[in-house]
Amino acid sequence: MIKKNTVGSGLLLLLIAGAVGYGIGFGLDALISGGTPKLAGAVPSAFALLFAVSAFFFGLYGYRGITRGLVWQVVGTLLGGLFVTGIRALMGMTGNKLFGAFFFSEPAWVFGALMGVISFLVGVGVMDDWIKWARGIDTPEHHEDKPGWEKYFGVSLDHKVIGIQYTVTALVLISVGGLFALIFRTELAQSGLQFLSADPTKFNVFNQTGPQFYNTLMSLHGMIMIVSILLGISGIINYVVPLLVGAHDMAFPRMNAFAFWVAVPAAVLLLMSMVLGGFDTGWTGYPPLSSRAPVGVQMFFWGVFTAGWSSILGALNVIATVLRMRAKGMTAMRMPIFVWAAIATSIIAMTATQLIGLSFQMVSFQRLFGMGFFDPAKGGNPVLFQHLFWFYSHPAVYVFVLPGLGVISELLPVFVRKPLFGYRWIAMSSLGIALVGFVVWAHHMFTSGMNEYLRVPFMYSTMLVAVPTGVKFFSWIATIWGGKISTPTPMLFVLGAIVVFLLGGVTGPPNAMVALDLHLHDTYWVVGHFHDTIFGGFVFPFFAAIYYWFPKATGRRMNEFWGKVHFWLMTPSFLMLTFGMMFIGLRGMRRRIADYDAALGFDNTHLILTICAFGIALSVLIFFINIIYSIKHGEKAEGNVWNSRSPEWQVRSPMPAHNYEVPFEVVGEPYDYGLADSKYVEFSATAGKKH
Amino acid sequence: MTHKQEKSSMLSQGVFIFVYLAVLTVLEFGIAITFNSTVLLVVIALVKAVLVVYYYMHIYKLNAEHEGDEDSYEYKSGTNRIGLWLFLVSDSFVFGGLMVMRINLLGLTHPHLDQTLGLIVTGVLLVSSFFMNRGETLMANGDRKGFITNTLITFVLGLGFLIGVVFVEWPNAIAEGITPGSGPAGAAFFMMTGMHAFHVLTGLIFLLVVLNNARRGLYDEKHYPVEAAAVYWHFVDVVWIFFYPALYLIGAIAK
Amino acid sequence: MRHFVIVAILVLAATFLVHAGLDAANLMPVNASTQASEIDWMWNLQVVAMSFLFSLIVVPMFYSLVVFRRKKGDTTDAEHVEGNTPLEITWTVIPLFVVVIFAYLGAGNLANTLRGDPNAMVVKVVGSQWSWKFEYPEYGITTQELYLPEGKQVLLKMESTDVIHSFWVPEFRVKQDLVPGRVTELHITPTLAGEYKVRCAELCGTSHYAMEQPVVVVDGALFTSWVSERQAEAAALDTPEARGQALVTANGCAACHSIDGSARIGPTWFNLFGSTVQLSDGTSVTADEAFLSESIKAPQAKIVAGFETQNMPPYQFTDEQIADIVAYIKTLK
Repeated sequence: MIKKNTVGSGLLLLLIAGAVGYGIGFGLDALISGGTPKLAGAVPSAFALLFAVSAFFFGLYGYRGITRGLVWQVVGTLLGGLFVTGIRALMGMTGNKLFGAFFFSEPAWVFGALMGVISFLVGVGVMDDWIKWARGIDTPEHHEDKPGWEKYFGVSLDHKVIGIQYTVTALVLISVGGLFALIFRTELAQSGLQFLSADPTKFNVFNQTGPQFYNTLMSLHGMIMIVSILLGISGIINYVVPLLVGAHDMAFPRMNAFAFWVAVPAAVLLLMSMVLGGFDTGWTGYPPLSSRAPVGVQMFFWGVFTAGWSSILGALNVIATVLRMRAKGMTAMRMPIFVWAAIATSIIAMTATQLIGLSFQMVSFQRLFGMGFFDPAKGGNPVLFQHLFWFYSHPAVYVFVLPGLGVISELLPVFVRKPLFGYRWIAMSSLGIALVGFVVWAHHMFTSGMNEYLRVPFMYSTMLVAVPTGVKFFSWIATIWGGKISTPTPMLFVLGAIVVFLLGGVTGPPNAMVALDLHLHDTYWVVGHFHDTIFGGFVFPFFAAIYYWFPKATGRRMNEFWGKVHFWLMTPSFLMLTFGMMFIGLRGMRRRIADYDAALGFDNTHLILTICAFGIALSVLIFFINIIYSIKHGEKAEGNVWNSRSPEWQVRSPMPAHNYEVPFEVVGEPYDYGLADSKYVEFSATAGKKH
Repeated sequence: MTHKQEKSSMLSQGVFIFVYLAVLTVLEFGIAITFNSTVLLVVIALVKAVLVVYYYMHIYKLNAEHEGDEDSYEYKSGTNRIGLWLFLVSDSFVFGGLMVMRINLLGLTHPHLDQTLGLIVTGVLLVSSFFMNRGETLMANGDRKGFITNTLITFVLGLGFLIGVVFVEWPNAIAEGITPGSGPAGAAFFMMTGMHAFHVLTGLIFLLVVLNNARRGLYDEKHYPVEAAAVYWHFVDVVWIFFYPALYLIGAIAK
Repeated sequence: MRHFVIVAILVLAATFLVHAGLDAANLMPVNASTQASEIDWMWNLQVVAMSFLFSLIVVPMFYSLVVFRRKKGDTTDAEHVEGNTPLEITWTVIPLFVVVIFAYLGAGNLANTLRGDPNAMVVKVVGSQWSWKFEYPEYGITTQELYLPEGKQVLLKMESTDVIHSFWVPEFRVKQDLVPGRVTELHITPTLAGEYKVRCAELCGTSHYAMEQPVVVVDGALFTSWVSERQAEAAALDTPEARGQALVTANGCAACHSIDGSARIGPTWFNLFGSTVQLSDGTSVTADEAFLSESIKAPQAKIVAGFETQNMPPYQFTDEQIADIVAYIKTLK
């Protein structure tokens, strides 16, 4: 028999509930629209999926935590939609429904979606303590988690649990975003529209024609990957920063949990866009196109807005933690370098993110209330959107890469047995990149028709970012030079990160040169450039961090052989992918197109790009299998596996529940490898009590 | 200084600051309806904001000393204080973005709004900050009843502001033809006042929660939540210190 | 010390090799405008920079991986070197100078690229979802192909009727967005006769990928005769139906409406006039002159069933033009 609360019971319930949900959706659709819905119609499919996913978690985990959150999200969405529909009906506005006569006008979907998010948060339980405090009821400071896997599916206040929740969710989203990429890369492998038909009368199960669906998949690939990056960096930062500074947790554990859990309904909203007509604007969502896109674009806007809360509150927490909870003796210049990276990242994330929320909110209101911010017919300015949007979205890319660059700086000394060269300069360079990163945004707008005189100053400021970035590269090489280098898997990914990020970095200045950018803008050259910077600044370091800190989290090592296979399959595939992209981009391959002219001669390159994409996917699959296997069966590794000087490695693995049972005091420099008898930290019962 | 002297000096400081704010507000209104100097209006707004941020929001408390042991209530309150200010920095970027939008779309013009009403609601909000400061000072000195009275007044005034904007100013504007969809002036006006009103509403909810818990004596010893509610309330006032001239005073009337 | 010398030589060698490889790969499309010459000059400079910077980092890294590999069984640490302040200052200041110089060169490069010829021929470009329209005000013609005389600068004055588009011919290099509500400009001086394509370079919706039309560069004489031909064609349009057909061609209606009954993004015009049309709200209506005229001026007023999500943009035609178009549609039986 199937045991309760196992993956098996979850899957069984998934199938049953999926069928039931499908039936309900089909019936509702038929009843309300008065016709026969398509067998693979959007409403039955959506219901089936929702029921199935909720049931899976229910079977696996019971009606609590994430299960309850998801169920409440569905209920909240429907109730919110009904509420607005009712009000609109009272006001005599009954038109413009999306699915037949009932399921919801656009304002109802938007309000429903937002109610769904709030309901999820209440349902998952992350608001419980705060609600109690508002009612004047006190709650214990720490909530002890039960041992085992269950704590990962509900609210935990432990930053280590939250760090893993973030990381796993990031990996799930990477898989979803990657799957979308594989789908459209398959279409692009040959010129001509193959399975995404050009026939405008053929609507697929998501109620979109072929090219519309391509645009939706491509847009979602971008934003889901971006959200996965934000979650991934939060995963590393949340797990590692308290350990590095000697704290027992983050400054605001409940807000930490909130910042994670708010990302889950955000992802649901993003995916919901697929069943509400999709959206064809790319992740950049420019009006006027986005002000006339299908309703899916609203789910995109509010999904991003919600995910932004995760970024903002998480960053706030990091800054407060580093300012207030460092161990005794840990002066600014004696912090592990990764903490500097986390601070610089958080400064950007905490401030600039508000602007993408605001700009998307403004387009959403333009659609809902006719507020013509960006509508020239109403005296609005389409280019204003681009300024507001890129004011966040450029600094955002530094949010994406600064933590990864911090991982590189943190890990290199361990694997070359030599101090980090020029620690202060590297620390300052992270801040420098963050600060300069705020004044370069309009380099995304050189062709936009913005004021002419802005182009040259932004070219200067953009080129300036190269200086602190260069400091990092030169310092890394100087760290490696003369060391005693070993290359286990984490180090391979660090070295790969340096090479790949370097490629991203050197392909940047051509874009900064305005005249040259007039050719390069909106081509696959740019796509190659940013995949290089993102893989080099995030993806490779993310893998490095996971391979490196996995023993700390689990007390076991990941398999070294398969780790190397992962690296040696991913790296050449990826390099060839980006070289190929840049090659065809220079020669005229535009971005965001579902199909391209065979006369351009890009067919062979596109085929290679698709094969490379599958190569990357295979390597990531190998990585997933490695992780899942190693959690239970990996080689035991309970001590200082990498022989690191860092404080977290001086304590047993997995970490104790509140990290440092005996607090430590900083008595030396973090990276004094090679200096005889030097210690970084000393554990003593009297350390860390006074400030 | 004795405890009593300190309390009365803080209370009178609150009055002085309010007087300065009131005078500056009258001054900016006068400048707006006479020679309308954008530079002066911006400077006055900045001065008003600095007064509120320094004296009412006591930003200097971030520079903490004598906090003691990291497990102490004082230390944790210090951490909470930093957290709140970081949040306000973040929120400022929203309002900053809205100002950028207003400047880009309206330039040196403003919507045609009811100046009397604008001055009244601005005054109401400033007075509410005065009472908020009073309430917070009293609670910090152990006077629970005084805190409740003054915070209730703050709440009523804040509610008055909200009603004045949403239920009087908005219908007035719509009757004048300034609607969310009527053009850049309407869009900017409704977006800015709407976002601000949303923050006033959340501030009111915060005040209610704090009032309710204060009644039950929860803040007699641990004052931080009172400080947090007050600082948030003053922040909402500071935003209006900039939005008021931006929407009502600066420049010519938009066509 | 010996290591530094070897690495320095290897870096220079690698720079040379990488550069030679990139150069030989002929990465840019054919150079067909004076602007392309300017831009390719900057591109070649960047290729040198990229080759050098790449080698500068990668060569020492790989060299270290080989020469400074940890020997088996060696558990000791390496030399304790924390930094070198003069070196760090150097590798901050020199790049600072270099980037400023590059930006300076870039500014001059931009000025050269954008330089306008006061005698340039003006062509008005109108971008819509999903087609281009080219108007030659000097000659009074409107065409679907952009013909340009070799060696003479053209000033494109560009508008969009709906969303943001972008004009780009890779061989000319320069690109400029078309933004609704304003006129944007692009100067192009073609230098190589040939047949090119303009393809929209800013995502503009469903058929963004297919928004392409021919750009033909010919010598002056051929251009003049082409203009004459077009003018003659336009003059020969003496019936409303002929004028209507020309308008339909010029405004790219065929992107969404077929004339032969085949399925497109919008309803077909074949046998449309006089037929009964089912609307999305359940009612039906006769497709007479009034209905057709309204559908052009205010497309969202009555939407044909099955086409609810297609979002036809409104068009700014004069009443006379609309009458001509309707007359043309009437002929499609």
